[in-house]
Amino acid sequence: MRIALVGVFAAALIGVAAAQETKQPIKLGAIEVLTGPNNRYGIPCQRAFDLAIEEINKAGGVLGGRPLAIAYEDSAGNKDQAMNAARKLIGRDKVALILGPTLSNEMFAVGPVVNERKIPIIGTSTTANGITAIGPWVFRTAMPESDVIPVTLKTAKEKLGVKKVVVMYANDDAFTKSAYDVMKETLAKLGVETLTTETFSDKDTDFTAQLTKAKNLNPDAIVVSAHVDSGSGIILQGRQLGIAKSVRFIGGNGFNSPKLAEIAGEAADGTLVGSPWFLTKNDEVNQKFVKAYKNKYGEDPDQFAAQAYDTMYLIARAISAAGSTEPEKLKDALQKAKNVGVMGPFSFTEGRDPADASGVVILEMQGGKFRIFGETS
Amino acid sequence: MLVQQLVNGFVLGATYALFALGFTMMFGVLGVINLTYGVYFALGAFAALWASKAIGLSVWLALPFGAAVAGCIAVLVDTLLLTRLRRAKAPELSSLMVTIGATLFLYTGLSVIYGTEVRRFAADFAPSAAFEIAGVRVVATQALIVVAALLMAAALIWIVRGTKVGLAVRGVAENPDAAALMGVNGALITHLVSFMSGALGGAAGVLIGLNFNAIQPFMGENMMLRGFAVIIIGGLGDLRGALIAGFLLGIIEVLTAGYFASAAKDLIAFALLVLTLWIRPVGLFGRAAAKRA
Amino acid sequence: MLDELSDLYWTYQNIIHGIAVNGILGLSVYVVLSIGQLALGQAAFMGIGAYFGAIATTKLGLPFPIAILASVLTPAAVALAIGAPTLRLTGVYLAISMLGLGEISRLLLLNWEYAGGALGLSGIPERGDVFLLYGVLIVLIIALIFISRSRIGRAMEAMREDETAAGVMGVNVPRYKLATLVVSAMLAGLAGCLSAHLSSFIGPNEYGFEEATTILSFALLGGIGTPLGPVAGAAILTLLPEVLRFLADYRLMINGAIIVIAVLFMPRGLLSWRMRRTV
Repeated sequence: MRIALVGVFAAALIGVAAAQETKQPIKLGAIEVLTGPNNRYGIPCQRAFDLAIEEINKAGGVLGGRPLAIAYEDSAGNKDQAMNAARKLIGRDKVALILGPTLSNEMFAVGPVVNERKIPIIGTSTTANGITAIGPWVFRTAMPESDVIPVTLKTAKEKLGVKKVVVMYANDDAFTKSAYDVMKETLAKLGVETLTTETFSDKDTDFTAQLTKAKNLNPDAIVVSAHVDSGSGIILQGRQLGIAKSVRFIGGNGFNSPKLAEIAGEAADGTLVGSPWFLTKNDEVNQKFVKAYKNKYGEDPDQFAAQAYDTMYLIARAISAAGSTEPEKLKDALQKAKNVGVMGPFSFTEGRDPADASGVVILEMQGGKFRIFGETS
Repeated sequence: MLVQQLVNGFVLGATYALFALGFTMMFGVLGVINLTYGVYFALGAFAALWASKAIGLSVWLALPFGAAVAGCIAVLVDTLLLTRLRRAKAPELSSLMVTIGATLFLYTGLSVIYGTEVRRFAADFAPSAAFEIAGVRVVATQALIVVAALLMAAALIWIVRGTKVGLAVRGVAENPDAAALMGVNGALITHLVSFMSGALGGAAGVLIGLNFNAIQPFMGENMMLRGFAVIIIGGLGDLRGALIAGFLLGIIEVLTAGYFASAAKDLIAFALLVLTLWIRPVGLFGRAAAKRA
Repeated sequence: MLDELSDLYWTYQNIIHGIAVNGILGLSVYVVLSIGQLALGQAAFMGIGAYFGAIATTKLGLPFPIAILASVLTPAAVALAIGAPTLRLTGVYLAISMLGLGEISRLLLLNWEYAGGALGLSGIPERGDVFLLYGVLIVLIIALIFISRSRIGRAMEAMREDETAAGVMGVNVPRYKLATLVVSAMLAGLAGCLSAHLSSFIGPNEYGFEEATTILSFALLGGIGTPLGPVAGAAILTLLPEVLRFLADYRLMINGAIIVIAVLFMPRGLLSWRMRRTV
């Protein structure tokens, strides 16, 4: 009798211990720019990850009730620190996969390291060319400019009859230069004439020289590849110099920010941007996300947050499909994973880039807010 | 188009000159590479921004407010950090090092408080009228900057050349020990110069932030390197030089971008800097400085 | 157990490499500071060395030793070219001229499409390891210690104290200045090449003004009385961001504060007690 009791007790203990084992959180790692001048890209990612994880865990977690946990490392925009972060997350914290880093430059340094250790790494905000070419463990959920910009420029040509443009781009930043390369190629393919190409520094504040030259050439539109700081300055100064409203500014992803209207004000009306996502996209999944994000953080989410949010859900699906966090299985599951998120349907190409560009819309700035181009409010 | 470009260059030059006035004063008189000058520039802009939002100061009041705040912090930094080193006759490099540390501390502090995104003054903060004369467009804030640069330079030059205080400042700049022997209160003069240069930097920050609508914690960093070019070309410590070199550089940069290649715009400033140092290191108006120990 | 140790090493490998690379950079700045010249070109030379070394292996497929040679000789050539007009300058003027040249170098790299331009050079093969790095560092330290105790070292110290007097006493001042600039450039270039081949990616903006001041801080923190000073400074300043990681947002602020306090209370650097040999 006593032996039986002990037996039951032991079994219960083992059962509880096993149950504890299976409730162990699944550790993910993330390298983001959380401090320094670029943290406005990293912090939305962090916030969105946290929001998604909170929701997923509340709904029961993955793999039979195991919650997701995430460890953040700040790279402060510094390549060395990003590399140190990756090594710590893998070597010391033994995470199942890594999210980020925020900047393409960092990914070029970190990717090979992670790839060598055969751990999946997913860039949610890195849009430069060649990211996924780093290795078979490198995934990218950020919609690259090469998918968005052609849609934008095509729309400009077909709907606005744009035939000749001036192109301006920041030539000292990998992101803006990369986007410019896409613009150049697309404009050539579309047969749109480039009257002149002007450059500036990402940190510049005076663009009057280039804009005066542009104005004099009478373009139909001015295509700009810049971050929002310089971009809004360009638009503002352009209008101050008397560039007519009929000459629209067309931007790459850097323009895709509420800051544009904040800084450039009225001058920004009529600006066109292509975006894989926008705030007022009117489907249930998106609206729920926007509301939850705003409730939790007091601010509207931006595109970086949206992409990060979707990625986390994608990861949850992949882990469930893989049935474990073993790297090989996880990688395969990711490759096949599908998700319908706030950005629309998502799956990976064979090259581990986003396969679906159907969600790309062209936005137009009107009265301080973006709305879908061609739609009257 | 040429006239418009010249106007553009003139305005850009005014911003450079404005930045350089305080910078050259700090450099020339106090004899130290003070990298914190860029921070005073940003602090002035942020202080004025805060004032315009929190207490609703108009631009005419926020400007001196911003300048004063920057000036006070400059004196604080100088007292806490640089005076100690001066008294201990520490190597020049230590002062440089300390300003590097202080700059890091202050910039990061600013970005912790305010975040790193760019902001602007309210759209109605300053007169926004635009004038068009013979096909050339000028906005009110641009005119404001040019006038401010000229006025401040004139005022400073008058102070330094025409008043007793100015004489004392020049004396301390030439030879602190001799000046002390002559009864000049070196410490007071140093504080005065610190305040004035900090205030000038702050004022420049407000005006430039106003004109370009780009206020962010690191705004001074970007100006610093150009600032070096301007004060070297103009001559270290020479106010006239800073003014003229500033305008000159602005015009050259704009003409290079407008008529040659915009990619060369940045390059030209540094090329001129290096050429000046190779050919005539004292710059346009500098006098060969006495060897500093 | 071995697995754990190897994991531990792998985790901190980059920091360990970083200390060695920064140590070599510290030596590169030590060389010019020890004759009293404030030549702030190390970051630019490092960049040139990194780029030419990386181009050698990545684009031209040459073996690593050739890359090292390229990364050492190219900055040396540049130093020789700019040396003559630049070294006539002193103090603050010299410092600013090097900053200006550094910016020019950065802008040229930025516009050099072959080397990737703004997109930088990625896919640099991994070459070299901790033994190479520390081996080089130790050899350099020993070499410099020997030199500082030799006639050359005494001449350099004389120049640091009083350039004019040294000249009068027969020291060929211009030749020493050029030689130290070239050596400094070579060391920085070497550091650049080694670092590039351990991080698989380099970009032109990594070798600018900010980096130049960071490299200077190694020497200023550690003191320039002995070659070990800048190396110690480099080690501390490399570890500091990692050690302070838990401070998150305030990390850089504390970093700055530490530098300020260190300089205020030790204006001659940490290892300065070695500096004065009694005269």
